[in-house]
Amino acid sequence: MAFIEVEDYSFAYPADEGRTASAEPTQVLRDVRFHVEEGDFCILVGGTGCGKTTLLRSLKPELAPVGTCEGALRIMGRDMVRAGVRMQAFSPEESASEIGYVMQDPAAQIVCDTVWHELAFGLENLGMPQDVMRRRVAEVAHFFGIEPWVRRDTESLSGGQQQLVNLAAVLALRPRLLLLDEPTAQLDPHARKQFLFMLSRVNKELGITVVMATHAPEEAAGYATCLVELEPLGESVSRERAIERLTERWDDRRAALSSAPVLVALRDAYVRYDRQSPWVLRGVDMAVREGSVHALVGGNGCGKSTLLKAMAGVVRLQRGRLDNASAHSQALLPQDPKTLFVCDTVAEELHEWSARCGYGVAEEAATLARFGLADCAERHPYDLSGGQQQKLALAKLLLTGARLLFLDEPTKGLDPASCAETVRIVRALAEAGHTVVLVTHDLDFALVAADEVSMLFDGEPACTEFVSDFFENNLVYVPNAASRLFGEV
Amino acid sequence: MRQRSAQLRRSVRKEWVLIGMNHAFSSYHPAVAFAFIVSAAALSMAAMHPVYVAFSLAGALATSAAVRGMRQTVRSLAWVLPMCAIMACANPLFSASGSTELFRVAGRAVYAESLVYGLCSGGMFASVFLWFSSYARCMNSENSLALLGNAAPTVSLMASQVLRLVPQFVSRGREISAVQDAASAAAPAGRKDEARGRFRVVSTLMEWGMEDGIVRTDAMRARGYDCGVRRTTYKRCRFGGEDRMLMACILIGAAANAVLIAIACAHHAFYPTMTPLHFQWGYAAYAAYLAIPPILKAKEWWQWRLSR
Repeated sequence: MAFIEVEDYSFAYPADEGRTASAEPTQVLRDVRFHVEEGDFCILVGGTGCGKTTLLRSLKPELAPVGTCEGALRIMGRDMVRAGVRMQAFSPEESASEIGYVMQDPAAQIVCDTVWHELAFGLENLGMPQDVMRRRVAEVAHFFGIEPWVRRDTESLSGGQQQLVNLAAVLALRPRLLLLDEPTAQLDPHARKQFLFMLSRVNKELGITVVMATHAPEEAAGYATCLVELEPLGESVSRERAIERLTERWDDRRAALSSAPVLVALRDAYVRYDRQSPWVLRGVDMAVREGSVHALVGGNGCGKSTLLKAMAGVVRLQRGRLDNASAHSQALLPQDPKTLFVCDTVAEELHEWSARCGYGVAEEAATLARFGLADCAERHPYDLSGGQQQKLALAKLLLTGARLLFLDEPTKGLDPASCAETVRIVRALAEAGHTVVLVTHDLDFALVAADEVSMLFDGEPACTEFVSDFFENNLVYVPNAASRLFGEV
Repeated sequence: MRQRSAQLRRSVRKEWVLIGMNHAFSSYHPAVAFAFIVSAAALSMAAMHPVYVAFSLAGALATSAAVRGMRQTVRSLAWVLPMCAIMACANPLFSASGSTELFRVAGRAVYAESLVYGLCSGGMFASVFLWFSSYARCMNSENSLALLGNAAPTVSLMASQVLRLVPQFVSRGREISAVQDAASAAAPAGRKDEARGRFRVVSTLMEWGMEDGIVRTDAMRARGYDCGVRRTTYKRCRFGGEDRMLMACILIGAAANAVLIAIACAHHAFYPTMTPLHFQWGYAAYAAYLAIPPILKAKEWWQWRLSR
């Protein structure tokens, strides 16, 4: 008997009244079948919207989705679903402590204001006595190395730290099974590696069974013991092949850009957020050529996002000078596309600025079609997937007719297919003569999307080069040797 | 280099302020600080008696120095002293009672008694202000929650959530308006349009917050919130033997002084002639009570002194 047994499990959400066009139930999972043994590290892969989340939630009684199911689900030998009927296999307390669940958004799932209170939250819910709580909080804080910042406010932590707190808070309950739904999608590469390493320690040293949904199985490949594909993955293509394909475009662009005028120029720019705090940017000189796609890359806290905001003119320079020939026709895509959404439907969202910018219904419809959003025109922006939200936000900004676009981490949390979509959009913009400045952690994306790349270090650009030269001259700061994104583009 | 270390020092000091370390009560349970400051403030408000007011003010200053530090206390004097002076001057102008006429201003007599009364009320006001400043320093949100936690677990959890959400709302609001400002291609046409845009910030924030709420509810349920078990509260601070001792001293001292103050005030009158002031043992008791924070601070100082 396996630890988790999923046998011919199918699931459909009930028909949605009114909001969407579909009047019939939406089938999300069809005849899924796999086993996980105790102590396994199982990776659940598949693109956006293939039902990873639905499957994981079906395994956690408190979060089980409402709908019709078929087949059987068994955890630890207990029937969760038998012959399409959901059973109560665990009491609420048992379920809370035995099965841990970590979600994608690091900040949204944190409940309390301080780290120690967050670690104790689940224990409080289960009515643990004081001494047991102290011991367990101490144990997990020690295991994850949280001790130095256990008294800090959760809001002041970085995304990676927040996600570690979420994992630790679940682990304080001493679960036997840990379910994680794309836990690293919102994290930067460094934090991602650290989180996965910690997760593998949880799996190996504590013997806790792990089931993790992800759209990037490559990163966890070293730790995983089994892989369940809900949807076949795209093919991985080597970097050399990608570079071969890009060479022609690069040659054209290099010739075109060498004579292009400078559109945005920063000279000797100094920025800090507070009189007491250290400089975030110190003496930045930067020039963005008209019609280019300029990528800003660098480690965490090197000032990439601040530099982007400084160029967009929303962060004031304490010293230095900004010349932006396109200051009247620019737009900024923030890290979280939700920042831009104010309306109840996708269509209304695109209509919002029509009076200000003077575009009409025809353009809105064309944009919807171009971004593949026509099917969900009547849906609420928050009901879209991460990739669709990103596209909607971009579409909204493009309708303004802005000649200069600033994009902050446009591929954060996207699967390779959506990422490739973003690459196509960015390239199309450049072809049409727009200028794009983007900040990214994703070097694969920078390789295929950018014309020029600047690497930031310690608040100033360490180098700015044409994309092919940049990656050729780097030793460690290079894209992956092979990636599914290269295959998609 | 020197700038660096100054910066570091400053950030360390800021950290102290944030987590409430390094003051007279910091090694005790927050309830102790709460009991002392609240009872001392209540006694100061009740004791309308020249000698007692003088002691209250001195005690409030000493506590402020022990809790908030010398520099901040001196800084607040700049506010406290003028206030005393204003109240002392204002009272004789409004209440022309008393029997010892000092001088006349524009035909109105100014009496010594009403001047003293004004000084006393100014001093009382100042001491209460200082008590509140010390309170704010000792009882940060975490300490207040530690007090609440025992009495009302649900309230303390809610307070903890609110404390978490407020900074998140503020930073998101900033982000949203920055994005609106940056989108010059969709610049608002006219002031009315701009005002509507600002309103949209609020609606975006609300909607975003509600969306987060769904995720947070899931996260809470996944960790057994509302699973039918009676919640307990994780107490970061233990109420130990030392706390109990000091708490007992404070409560007994406060009760005894309350009785003594009631007697002293009953036998004291400002008008028409002020009752002459004689030594009472009550003064000593009040002084001893108010000396608790400076004594704690001195003890700490002495310990560090020896260990060096």
